[in-house]
Amino acid sequence: MLIHVKGARIIDPANRRDEVGDLWIRDDEIVAPPSGAIADETVDASGLVAMAGGIDIHSHIAGANVNTARLMLPEQHRAHARRPTATPLSNAGWSTFETGCLYAEMGFTTVVEPAVAPHHALHAHLELADTPIIDKAILTILGNDDFGLDLIRSGQGASAIRDHVGWTLETTRALGIKVVNAGGVAAFKENVRSFSFDDVVPFYGVTSRQIVKALQTAVHEAGAPHPLHLHCNNLGLPGNVETALTTIASAGDLPLHLAHLQFYGYGKEGPQGFSSAAPRLAEAMNTAKTVTIDVGQVMFGQTVTISSDVLRQFSARGQARPRKYAIVDGDSNGVGVVPYEYRAGSFHNAVQFAVGLELFLLIDDPWRVFFTTDHPNGAPFTTYPEIFAMLMDRDVRAQWLARLPAEAVAVTTLPSLTREYSLSEIATMTRAAPAKLLGLPNRGHLGVGARADVAIYRPGKDIAQMFRAAARVYKDGELVVRDGAVTHYRFGRALHAAPTVEASMQRRISEYYETRYGLPSDFMRVSHHAVGRPQPFEAVACAR
Amino acid sequence: MTAQIGAEVAASISGAPASIENAAAAAAQLLARSAQPLIAGLGADIEGARAAIALAERVGGVVEHAHSAALMRDLDSLRESGVMLTTPGEARVRADVVLLVGDGLVEAWPGLSERLLRPPARPHGADVKRSIVWLAPRADAAIPGFGGDVEVVAAGLGATRAGNLAALRARVKGRPVTGARIPGPALDAIAAKLKGARFGVSVWSAAHLGALEIEMLNGLVRDLNEKTRFSTLPLAAPDNGAGVLAVCGWMTGFPMRTGFGVGAPLHDPWRFGAERLIASSETDCVVWISAFGAPPPTWRRALKFIALCEGTTQFAEEPNVRIVVGRPGVDHDAVVHSPETGTLVAIAASAPSAAPRVAQVLERIGACLGKRHARSC
Repeated sequence: MLIHVKGARIIDPANRRDEVGDLWIRDDEIVAPPSGAIADETVDASGLVAMAGGIDIHSHIAGANVNTARLMLPEQHRAHARRPTATPLSNAGWSTFETGCLYAEMGFTTVVEPAVAPHHALHAHLELADTPIIDKAILTILGNDDFGLDLIRSGQGASAIRDHVGWTLETTRALGIKVVNAGGVAAFKENVRSFSFDDVVPFYGVTSRQIVKALQTAVHEAGAPHPLHLHCNNLGLPGNVETALTTIASAGDLPLHLAHLQFYGYGKEGPQGFSSAAPRLAEAMNTAKTVTIDVGQVMFGQTVTISSDVLRQFSARGQARPRKYAIVDGDSNGVGVVPYEYRAGSFHNAVQFAVGLELFLLIDDPWRVFFTTDHPNGAPFTTYPEIFAMLMDRDVRAQWLARLPAEAVAVTTLPSLTREYSLSEIATMTRAAPAKLLGLPNRGHLGVGARADVAIYRPGKDIAQMFRAAARVYKDGELVVRDGAVTHYRFGRALHAAPTVEASMQRRISEYYETRYGLPSDFMRVSHHAVGRPQPFEAVACAR
Repeated sequence: MTAQIGAEVAASISGAPASIENAAAAAAQLLARSAQPLIAGLGADIEGARAAIALAERVGGVVEHAHSAALMRDLDSLRESGVMLTTPGEARVRADVVLLVGDGLVEAWPGLSERLLRPPARPHGADVKRSIVWLAPRADAAIPGFGGDVEVVAAGLGATRAGNLAALRARVKGRPVTGARIPGPALDAIAAKLKGARFGVSVWSAAHLGALEIEMLNGLVRDLNEKTRFSTLPLAAPDNGAGVLAVCGWMTGFPMRTGFGVGAPLHDPWRFGAERLIASSETDCVVWISAFGAPPPTWRRALKFIALCEGTTQFAEEPNVRIVVGRPGVDHDAVVHSPETGTLVAIAASAPSAAPRVAQVLERIGACLGKRHARSC
């Protein structure tokens, strides 16, 4: 199948391209204009904008934690507007089936579920297998597990920690490793109620800093395509900018990704002892070239926070709206599910909203700042179009600002920021840079040899509408969306790193689970046949 | 008269041996003619549950599970208040105080003594004697197969009634109580033990507790966490109840007792309960699934009945259609919820056979439905 997309404005920052031109798709690949060939289908895309399919690096879309939230909140996901029943379960409000369709309709073709406990890897992959159209991946969580902390405590050396990382990636079929409040989740089980970067985990005698450094190095040494993905300590607390600054400064020469930095951009100034410290963070980021961040933008409305930072979620349980929550002390890990409603009239929520936008606008390099709402923690991913509009148009931003309490706006710099993102910068932040960060060389761009994941938008005065309903979306060269609606149903794959696994580590882990828990270690293994779709996985090469 | 078919027969229509193809076609015909189909029992592995929900969507049916009533009682607390939860593994290595509540614990978790009660607690790596307290249902209560120390408290005093649990919760908070059936000093002794835990875990089976009792236990644990750490381990329902619940959650957003009659999934724990649907004759056709060998329901049936079960399952009246299915983890590889890990795990067939899987049979039935129902997940 040869498709010729004619006359679109092609925005492809990875290949430094922003021009009106043609795209040729042969089967699932972008190809050079074939000389003399006749296309099976020619698409007149004049007046439209073509980008690579969007890539979301951090969105809680699947797994046991998300499912707990679904079951906790039946009132939040009654089917909304009735839709034509073109796709299975398309009237289920908050299902995996709907998730895949909604992402595709916005032109996103790859999404990373960033927080899966090793024990729940199979569950997460089963949900991802039921998430249609898009490709997906998981990050598996380490950094609070007894086995890993013991490796660090007992000084068994970098190679043992690296092998543990490799084993975890391979067993759970993960694309990368995430750490959530390193040591803090384990400390909470010992009744510790606050935990910072240089605090010591009871019994293990190691600090959060030591855990982060050890895993940052180990992930690098294991050759994983994605650097360590870190959820810092002290999320959400006034004055926590110091924690973030300390963490950024600790990164050194190795790459480190900090998740949802907005939640760490708080000072203690102002009438309520809560203020934006985004300028300080942005300044640090503008010099820390090895560090990448995603924003975790807050938008107003009802949502639910789903976080493996149990310590933080426990502390936040009193703010639950509606008043219910689940706090889970999990295996080597945990999760807290706390529903929450961000209100435009709330001083705190308004500051959070501003901090996110300040980070977007004050960090210079769109290759190192990633577009997320930490779905659903800051806002559901369906709010992305509104956020694109705010980034690209300062007048839209001003309208939002006008809704906020003046005293909240006063402790931020947002009104003074005039920057407007270009389409090319949007494409960098949501396509080119994520592909680079995740180690996916044939995604995020439209050059020859790229996978034919293409989003074609109809530009207009309403930027949000442009990004809400893609004119056409191709996934692996198949047309899946037309005019903002799914037209073809298919299933993508889960991308995972394929590291070398040391037999000695497999033996050690087997022995550990057998003696300590009376369980075979392979109960965490995610195998093809268990997931139950043809070709559910796609391996991504590791450097080692 | 009881009816069963021989182990060698793959399927039957009105008791007469039939091919699976013909039985599936007959089942599809019954479903297509039904005004309100019900998929019940739902003792199936993950893939079977997926197929059941997909079929329910196609025929506008209701999805229900044999143990929904108990599952809903635990779910009520999650949906209406705050809960603290932990896993069998964390409880095993960490719990220094285990508060057992009520009956049915070993039935719900056969590994209870072996895996939780017997091993020492290991906070800080050192072996610590685990203190086990049982709010027991009866004076002569005993945990089969467990020879260790269990402090049986308030047996015969209705220890697991909401009123007594409320009194215990009040004493944990230091509030005065009057009129509790458990004497004050005994109540205070339990409260002190719970408050003295470093990481306590309360264990129960919702099959043997009421919703109010469960809500009170969750409140008790919430209160304990103001000062120390305490969590809960509600034991999973049988027949892969927790696994089916998970699948319902990700496919529809809702638990079981969800119907597709209006196109969109609609969840109503009262309206879509199987017993009520049958007693009120609101359903006229049931697909009853039991791949784990659960006994058949005792519903009086003036309705069409399609059974996916073992060949040896005995019905008072032979189903209109019976298709024999394999047992997950015995006849075929499967994914199910494991009470040992509290997660979904893959299990290998222990005696692989050609008996079809629930999902295969349901998909075959689906394939026989008309074009009107052509979509599938």
